[in-house]
Amino acid sequence: VRVRKPARLTASGARLLWRMLSALPSGGPENLQRPPLGPSSRLGIPRPAMTAHSFALPVIIFTTFWGLIGIAGPWFVPKGPNRGVIITMLVATAVCCYLFWLIAILAQLNPLFGPQLKNETIWYVRFLWE
Amino acid sequence: MGSMFRSEEVALVQLFLPTAAAYTCVSQLGELGLVEFRDLNASVSAFQRRFVVDVRRCEELEKTFTFLQEEVRRAGLVLPRPEGRLPAPPPRDLLRIQEETERLAQELRDVRGNQQSLRVQLHQLQLHAAVLGQGHGPQLATAHTYGASERTPLLQAPGGPHQDLRVNFVAGAVEPHKAPALERLLWRACRGFLIASFSELERPLEHPVTGEPATWMTFLISYWGEQIGQKIRKITDCFHCHVFPFLEQEEARRAALQQLQQQSQEMQEVLGETERFLSQVLGRVQQLLPPAQVQVRKMKAVYLALNQCSVSTTHKCLIAEAWCATRDLPALQEALRDSSAEEGVSAVAHRIPSRDMPPTLIRTNRFTASFQGIVDSYGVGRYQEVNPAPYTIITFPFLFAVMFGDVGHGLLMFLFALAMVLAENRPAVKAAQNEIWQTFFGGRYLLLLMGLFSVYTGFIYNECFSRASSIFPSGWSVAAMANQSGWSDAFLAQHTMLTLDPNVTGVFLGPYPFGIDPIWSLAANHLSFLNSFKMKMSVILGVVHMAFGVVLGVFNHMHFGQRHRLLLETLPELTFLLGLFGYLVFLVIYKWLHVSAASAASAPSILIHFINMFLFSHSPTNRPLYPQQEVVQAMLVVLALAMVPVLLLGTPLHLLCRHRRRRRRPTGRKQEDKAGLLGLPDASVNGWGSDEEKAGGLEDEQEAELVPSEVFMHQAIHTIEFCLGCISNTASYLRLWALSLAHAQLSEVLWAMVMRIGLGLGREVGVAAVVLVPIFAAFAVMTVAILLVMEGLSAFLHALRLHWVEFQNKFYSGTGYKLSPFTFAATDD
Repeated sequence: VRVRKPARLTASGARLLWRMLSALPSGGPENLQRPPLGPSSRLGIPRPAMTAHSFALPVIIFTTFWGLIGIAGPWFVPKGPNRGVIITMLVATAVCCYLFWLIAILAQLNPLFGPQLKNETIWYVRFLWE
Repeated sequence: MGSMFRSEEVALVQLFLPTAAAYTCVSQLGELGLVEFRDLNASVSAFQRRFVVDVRRCEELEKTFTFLQEEVRRAGLVLPRPEGRLPAPPPRDLLRIQEETERLAQELRDVRGNQQSLRVQLHQLQLHAAVLGQGHGPQLATAHTYGASERTPLLQAPGGPHQDLRVNFVAGAVEPHKAPALERLLWRACRGFLIASFSELERPLEHPVTGEPATWMTFLISYWGEQIGQKIRKITDCFHCHVFPFLEQEEARRAALQQLQQQSQEMQEVLGETERFLSQVLGRVQQLLPPAQVQVRKMKAVYLALNQCSVSTTHKCLIAEAWCATRDLPALQEALRDSSAEEGVSAVAHRIPSRDMPPTLIRTNRFTASFQGIVDSYGVGRYQEVNPAPYTIITFPFLFAVMFGDVGHGLLMFLFALAMVLAENRPAVKAAQNEIWQTFFGGRYLLLLMGLFSVYTGFIYNECFSRASSIFPSGWSVAAMANQSGWSDAFLAQHTMLTLDPNVTGVFLGPYPFGIDPIWSLAANHLSFLNSFKMKMSVILGVVHMAFGVVLGVFNHMHFGQRHRLLLETLPELTFLLGLFGYLVFLVIYKWLHVSAASAASAPSILIHFINMFLFSHSPTNRPLYPQQEVVQAMLVVLALAMVPVLLLGTPLHLLCRHRRRRRRPTGRKQEDKAGLLGLPDASVNGWGSDEEKAGGLEDEQEAELVPSEVFMHQAIHTIEFCLGCISNTASYLRLWALSLAHAQLSEVLWAMVMRIGLGLGREVGVAAVVLVPIFAAFAVMTVAILLVMEGLSAFLHALRLHWVEFQNKFYSGTGYKLSPFTFAATDD
């Protein structure tokens, strides 16, 4: 397996980009030609598909993070006239932000339908993101 | 807990102020600003109170001050601000201030009068000199020749030797806009018997009273005949002209002119002296006036406060009743001790029990003040009920941010607020008079938190000026879909829109770890996904917020000793709310966790399940989410409905029972809980006939007046309000979805219509750079005006409404009044 140095990787990537851009049609997608092969074939490494996202890891990380702020934080607030207010603020922030993040990730856990993309977008994303 | 959790303890104190020391004590209390005096002489009119004479003297002095201030302003000078601490002066000093002020005022009036008359005289002299000095050459030349000339009248007056008629002159000055009219009238009235010549002065003269420069017209009328002369004089009188004697001989005129000039010079010297003296007097006024104004204002305030005390002749002292925070009682007693020790007497203060509801006192610092202000705008809390402000500090910016979520806009708002916060101690910023700026400046900490939370929700929504960013790689793989569905280039060319199917292996790789996946911003159907997500989010946040509100009511019930309400009101309310809408939240989360794409075609609809739950019906096409779902739902609905009569009848029946038990034992023990002294302020949620803000609710004696119908009525209203409110308030939280959608769409449109066009113009490097400058300017202006200001205000308003109505009507009554202490702080600036 040959691994090229980063500088040459960037250079080859830039050249590829330039060729893809210049191959962009002025008319519709009928003029699309198959562009030169993407980075994976250029490097000769069969790149895997996108990295799979786990669900457990973000949950653990964020629960710990907001848990530290909301549950452990109040113990470290110095005594003073504003102690009660600061503790309330910490707990409320932790609860609100954690709940909001949790709703966002739970909503995407089991999607029932996928995104509907334009063919140009598909063509572009397919070769640029992967 | 912190001092903001509920109002501080406020006690009624009775002050005994010996007459000799009353004034100093009250003035010292005003400097400290600790107590709020109660008016003990409310039945007495303002004119019959004890210190009305002193108040009147102060007011007269203030009138003189106003006159002096006006004079200073007229002279174009500015009164300096008073420096240092100026306590209210003792009464004997008032006489001295009064004398000095009167003297200054009199001097000022005299000097002004003198100046005025001098200026009028000077004006006359100047006019006279101008009239004499004006050359009316041709007329004078022909004056002595009454021979044939162009100007001699053609018409000969009948009879009489004309050659013997002398020519007389009338000389004077008239205002320029009246000159043509004068000329015309003279011509019409005395045609042929006079010659009038008008000429304008070169320099304008100042009007003595108004000071405006006016250019006068001088005239010289030569006429013959006595009657003509009288007519002319009447006409000139009518036009308010200044007429001066006109000597025929040249030398006499010149002598007169010289004399006039000498006189006017002297006059100007005298005028100069007068004005110098005037400025001296004004200087003294500037020195004396500002501190005197402050002192007299304080004195008047002290007398007005003393007027509220009742007089006790037997003890030779004044008795005052005031509300004071319990924490400040030692300071109060010390202040009274110190200020009365000088007179050799002692003033005391001691606490007395009170039946009325005390005022609410919540101490805030500059950070918490704006949040407390938001809550107080709805209504000041009743004495010692739970204060929603400490929670509002976070939930208000959070709900705002849910409706506003955008990293870019949030960052701009945060930076603007940060600039204001960092510059808050600069005097230039504090002295700004603009009202709109003051509004923004007063809410700078609010804006700071709102901006900060907006940045966070912007990251979750994955929107930065409507653009999504891929911090992590996306969880959707287009390549996998394309490879497995055989999307060749030809296929792509034929189909403009294609959907990724999560059922295909490798297409969906897992949920995006932080926020919304960036692939959705590229999708045409991204609103379908986002709407579903945001609606469910709104309902979840709403149910949590409202449940929190109901739980806060627990603290009220415990504090006021109404534990029966925990069981008879809070528990049914929570069961109803969580049994129905908490269950809805459960359904939403369950579906998120357990229904996957594999069964997407036959996915159960939560909406239909929820509707069927209430109608006790069944839709065969809608499969259940979990086994025995219908049984569980039926039980929940029955339970919730069973809670309604508990809520409706529980508390009234309990109170009736207790009332009857008490009546049966008239000498029974009376409870010494806090409810006793302060009444039973159940009005926190029920609104039990406590329309008056100062009077509390019922007491032990007044329990005899428990009216059953009223009790039942109020509880019925509360029940209906709560149950129907549950439904409508939950739906009301959907505005979180609506406004965030509106913000996202506006932002998107602005980008697509403005910036994208700008960025897409021209392939050559130079054109785009030049064109982008005005386009970016337009983008920036519209972002700030539409998205920051308009949307910001809109989201602010809706977040406020959610707090005031949906959150606070679960536990807050807001029918109290604030402690407004007697203080001079307002009069110091």
